[in-house]
Amino acid sequence: MAKIEANAADPVIDMAVISSHDALSLARKNLLQAIDTSRLQSFDKLYTAAQDPIGDNMAVGYTFYASSIVYRSDLVSIESWNDLLGEKLADNVALPNITGTQGPLTLMMLNKAEGGKPGEFSGTISAIGKHADDIVTFYSRSSELAQLMNQEEVIAAPVGRFAWSRFKSSPLPFAWAEPKEGQAGGMNVMIMTANNGNEDLAYKLMDYWLSTEVQTRIAEALIDSPANTEVKVSDEVAENLTYGAELINSLNILDPAVIIANRDVWVEQWNNEVIR
Amino acid sequence: MFLNRSEGFALALPAALFTCLVFLVPVGILLSAAFQAEPGVWSLQGYVDFFSQPLNQSVFLRTLKLGVLVAGTSAVIGYAAAFCIVNLPASSRGRIFGLVVLPLMISPVARTYAWIVILGRTGIVNDVIVGLGLSETPIRLLFTETAVFIGLLQLFLPLMIISLVSAMENIPQDVVPAARVLGASWFQVFFRVILPLTKEGLVIGGTLVFTGALTAYITPAILGGSKVLMLETLLYQKVNVSNDFVSASVIAMILIVMCFSANLVLKRIASVRS
Repeated sequence: MAKIEANAADPVIDMAVISSHDALSLARKNLLQAIDTSRLQSFDKLYTAAQDPIGDNMAVGYTFYASSIVYRSDLVSIESWNDLLGEKLADNVALPNITGTQGPLTLMMLNKAEGGKPGEFSGTISAIGKHADDIVTFYSRSSELAQLMNQEEVIAAPVGRFAWSRFKSSPLPFAWAEPKEGQAGGMNVMIMTANNGNEDLAYKLMDYWLSTEVQTRIAEALIDSPANTEVKVSDEVAENLTYGAELINSLNILDPAVIIANRDVWVEQWNNEVIR
Repeated sequence: MFLNRSEGFALALPAALFTCLVFLVPVGILLSAAFQAEPGVWSLQGYVDFFSQPLNQSVFLRTLKLGVLVAGTSAVIGYAAAFCIVNLPASSRGRIFGLVVLPLMISPVARTYAWIVILGRTGIVNDVIVGLGLSETPIRLLFTETAVFIGLLQLFLPLMIISLVSAMENIPQDVVPAARVLGASWFQVFFRVILPLTKEGLVIGGTLVFTGALTAYITPAILGGSKVLMLETLLYQKVNVSNDFVSASVIAMILIVMCFSANLVLKRIASVRS
């Protein structure tokens, strides 16, 4: 994002893959151009939610991800997102940092579990602040979390499904929670910078990436879950992904506009009450 | 040595130009942002904004506290180790000194990750704690100030020992036995003989350790995470997460001022003692 902003007059990045709220942030600064969807042969094969996720055709979704709680099934069971701040996980739980993509999703689900007003996370951040000493760390990367859980430093934490393969292959018994409030979800999107001069090549790459064949291969390699509805994978592969219309439609999605509008306030409150 | 001053100047010119072009100029441009609330408008608002945030205040104080603690503890351990090393036979001294220098040859990343294994719930320290019955269950040591302190101390202690060994090697061999013969206690020997004669080494070692502890990134990032933020990890967040270059420049300037101040304070203390 910094590179796109710093080189707005003479872009050095033509297209990028990025979170939907970061894409919206760039779009609002007029740093992106609308995508001509007629130039994407696979556009009609995409899930509806992926076709125009931030409005004005400023982005196209290329992958979905569910977000839930990974936990040690031999030590605890997880029924609700509220369990993250409960007694049984005290001193053994990690949460994602607010500055990453998983942080706001966790706030959303904790807020939902508490029965809070959608998008109003002030009470949830205060609740996390009160339990800050019980939380081992606020991680930034899923790889960091996988290491901590494999070292038995942490026994439960919210994480994106894209990281599940890191846990599934562990000798420790990790499980993927299906809390009663449901799973959170997010989408990563493709964007095209304004006036980059390489639009033709950028469209070619986007079209290639969204094609059924490439989306299938990326899914089979357990890299990203497909946004192309025609992708078919084995049950074993699907188990590791955010796959299928039923699952995708059941996800709790946080509106990118809500994140953009509130992120600075959330971060400030988080810094003052949680990180301290 | 030189035929004239211009010869010496010519020899130093390439290094001076290189340093100016690739270090001083870019750093100067970067740091100038710390004095511009908006491009072209000079002010100290960035500093006012920075220190008005409670989080920034606590990060500043934590960084200062850990820097002082690491430098102070390094000095205490370093004097004992250096005194021991300089009094060893020449053959053993080389081997022991090599062991002191050895950690400096290993990447700080590898050294810090080793601490994750040692300080983790399944690590050696917790094995001992549980084994001795000091706690029924393993205790959380990672992501605490203690973990960062231990990591930084291990990282920079060799610099203090090297500085103090160099300083102690210059002490005349007879002065310590002479002081003892004249009835000085070991406490008096240290404070009235060894310390005054090694103050230059202490100033150099103290500056190196304090500066290193202040500006280290990897160790606080890995062992402290976002729960134990220090100025250097906060600076990284400002650049890579918030894209806030003004605050990042303010932090960089604060770190530079702290490092120079530490050197001046240590020199001042050393001069007062003499």
